Amino acid sequence: MKVEEAPNPLAEGLHDYRIADPAVMIIFGATGDLSGRRLLPALYNLAKQRSLPAGFAVVGAAMNDMPDDAFRKHASDRIHEFSRTQPIDDRVLDAFLSSLSYVKVDFAQLADFKALAQRLQQLDDANHIPGNRIFYCATPPPTYQTIALQLQASGLNKGPGFHRIVVEKPFGSDLQSARELTQTLQKVFAEDSVFRIDHYLGKETVQNILAFRFANSIFEPVWNTNLIDSVQITVAEEIGIEQRGAYYDKAGALRDIVQNHALQLVTLTAMEPPLAFEAGAVRDEKVKVLRSIRPLIGEDIEQSTVRGQYTSGWVLGEQVPAYREEKNVAPDSQTETFAALRLVVDNWRWAGVPFYIRAGKRMPKRVTEIRIQFKRPPHLTFGREAMKEVDPNAITLRIQPEEGISLKFGAKVPSAGLRIRSVTMDFQYVTSFLIEAPEAYERLLLDCMIGDPTLFTRADEVEAAWTLIDPIENAWGSDRPPLQTYAAGSWGPDAAAKLLQADAREWHRP
Amino acid sequence: MAPTVSAVEQEAQPIWHGEGVTVGDVLAALDQIRFKFGRAEAGDAEHIHPRNSVMTLIGIAPTEPLEEAAKRTTQTIGMQHAAQAIVIREEAPIHGRNLDAWITTDVRRPEMACAVECELITLHVHGKAADHLGALLDPLLVSGVPTYLWWLGTPPFGKRELSDALRVCDGLVVDSAQFVEPYHDFRRMAATLKVVHHRLGLSDLQWSRLRPWRESIAQFFTPVDRRGFLDGISEVGVDYAGEGRGNRIAASLVTGWIASALGWKLRRATAGTGGVVVAMYEHGGRYIEVDFRSVPQGDRVPGEVSAVRIAGASRGTTFRLSVAHDPPRSRGPRQSEREWERRGGETGRVLLTLIEIGDSDPLRHVQQLEPEDQAALLLELLSTGTHDAVFNRSLTAASALMDKF
Repeated sequence: MKVEEAPNPLAEGLHDYRIADPAVMIIFGATGDLSGRRLLPALYNLAKQRSLPAGFAVVGAAMNDMPDDAFRKHASDRIHEFSRTQPIDDRVLDAFLSSLSYVKVDFAQLADFKALAQRLQQLDDANHIPGNRIFYCATPPPTYQTIALQLQASGLNKGPGFHRIVVEKPFGSDLQSARELTQTLQKVFAEDSVFRIDHYLGKETVQNILAFRFANSIFEPVWNTNLIDSVQITVAEEIGIEQRGAYYDKAGALRDIVQNHALQLVTLTAMEPPLAFEAGAVRDEKVKVLRSIRPLIGEDIEQSTVRGQYTSGWVLGEQVPAYREEKNVAPDSQTETFAALRLVVDNWRWAGVPFYIRAGKRMPKRVTEIRIQFKRPPHLTFGREAMKEVDPNAITLRIQPEEGISLKFGAKVPSAGLRIRSVTMDFQYVTSFLIEAPEAYERLLLDCMIGDPTLFTRADEVEAAWTLIDPIENAWGSDRPPLQTYAAGSWGPDAAAKLLQADAREWHRP
Repeated sequence: MAPTVSAVEQEAQPIWHGEGVTVGDVLAALDQIRFKFGRAEAGDAEHIHPRNSVMTLIGIAPTEPLEEAAKRTTQTIGMQHAAQAIVIREEAPIHGRNLDAWITTDVRRPEMACAVECELITLHVHGKAADHLGALLDPLLVSGVPTYLWWLGTPPFGKRELSDALRVCDGLVVDSAQFVEPYHDFRRMAATLKVVHHRLGLSDLQWSRLRPWRESIAQFFTPVDRRGFLDGISEVGVDYAGEGRGNRIAASLVTGWIASALGWKLRRATAGTGGVVVAMYEHGGRYIEVDFRSVPQGDRVPGEVSAVRIAGASRGTTFRLSVAHDPPRSRGPRQSEREWERRGGETGRVLLTLIEIGDSDPLRHVQQLEPEDQAALLLELLSTGTHDAVFNRSLTAASALMDKF
């Protein structure tokens, strides 16, 4: 999508500075957790970076009745508590708070949306805003369709300026519900005005996967089946489900992590070079990867997937309860808290290279990484004995924590004999750029204001992902393969290790 | 925006010092320091961590106060970027033959990563060695990372001393706000652009200070429905701190930036008394009048831009944009050199933008200015690199304007 008709010549050369048109952002669920922890602090930090244009306004919308000042106080409190940058700058905060107002909106009441429309018109007039609107659904997913339809009924999706809607993952709970959501959203908004946020894509280190691959000439020639043996993607969390028992017990690890975060990492690792870092080109290549993944059906699912649930155990030195003892979880729950998959990307580049994914809760530590495992040298020049302590070459892209990249290779041990050992060459963001990276939401909110959807998920991406996941969910719902257990604080059930052992491989220990 | 940086809390003490030494002696000392650090930081089962450096920053300081400023700033930058810093004081009273040297290290231990050692090498040079800075610096540079030369005060534009140092550098950073003879030195700087090697980027901290102004002005014209205003600009006014003629570099750079971006041709310019300058640009058969005026403001650094006004009309709609510092601060005058440094601790400075379109009420917009200390500006500049085509063309246009005064 072309974002601007013609570039502003005065904006040239302002590195990292992207200027949005004045707009009103309407936050549905403005008094909720997402708004308070992420959105309002991110907007404050954008204001601090001078990235909010003159006239930009925020309208909070939620069920409870609240005067503007009370909403500003609420916002101020949340910003003080959760802002990435501290201490809070009073002048920036005051200016930002003055752009905030509040309207009570019961999503079931059309009259409330009409009252909202009046408030927006007032802001347009006062702030020189040409009708630009961003509707942010910081609400539970079941409300997305209701909100969209009410926006349509009240005429808020039309008029001068742009009209965009932002929804948070999960985008449906299966292919059918995802399609229904897409159909509703597309009835009300054009697809290029629907911004589906998976905040993972806003992380600097996730974006750096593309920089690493496509801004360097030395990696891409080896990034294929000729030299790569396998790819391992680990998305591990040490925490349990915290307060999300009711949601998680319905979702499970496959829907919560694999369908979105993990598959996004697969696409970024496996995609072909896009023509440019531009929304259409990048997302086209990602969708191609998803469509190239061989669907798991029938017996494949039992042979290539593992599902597990944690029992009580020890994590980070503390004893933690079993999943079934968590709040709002059924005592006989069959929901998986761990998922492992072996996927095959059926294209020329990746023929014969398995992609192993594992995602789980209550693992030994929080870590997300992609490990590119290379093949062994074709000939052991130094003999088997000298090479016995050498692992194959590997590149590890560490997403979190300790964001960075490692290259593992063999080096001669300084001694009289000839022995080779594996050593690691490390790049760590924090030691090269000691600057704190911006929050993913800051990046994504600004992208949305500017109208750049590159880091947002497109409808066909969502559907392609659910197309892969649905058959697995269905089989798992029939207890195929059976649910395994693992002790909290371990790297998952034994079956996960066996999944790789069957291929004469083993999981890398992050 | 410029990254926030914290000042060095406590000045680190040198861990090595040599009088009357050679560069070879400095290198030998560095080798030992690096080996000890690597060994000490590695665990029993680990290999020595590799050194981590993203650039070499060289500060050339002609006076002791500037040397101290350079050391403070480079150490502060080392807290943000793993950099090797070299500070050279020219014509210093030294004890040895040509060279006295000090090495200071600052070890950073990020929570989730291995330790980083930032080195500061201070060299006092005297005599002919100062004319051959390239030979002095080359052996000390970290291989494979960019090297930036930050010349404090007024660089000797056109002299061998500068060209020899530039031979080993990828970027030259100056601060035109510090130039002793603003009019002449600025034009010499513009002329340097034409003779430096193609790899070299030229940067000016004064230009970096203008960034928030450029952002605010660009922001006004960004909405597509206001883009047409660019062709309707009829007046530009720039106020700068000072009395009489003062330092017009920043005002000229703002004008040069707008004119070169919009393709304006300079037709004439006249300088009157009291700092007033009137320039006439032409574009597409229209004339645009640009006025400078110096405004005595004891609380500001001489030459600092204090307000920019742009007005005009397009398709029957009038517009007026005003960007100004707010509020005026009330403090007594001070030396500019120290003033820029002092800005490091200053928070709460804002730009106030007023937008008037047609008959509607003015829209007020407040934007924060980051502290404008040298370290923050330098860090921002070095993070994005010193090759800035917009600066180069703005410099050329500003120099052409100054030529007319």
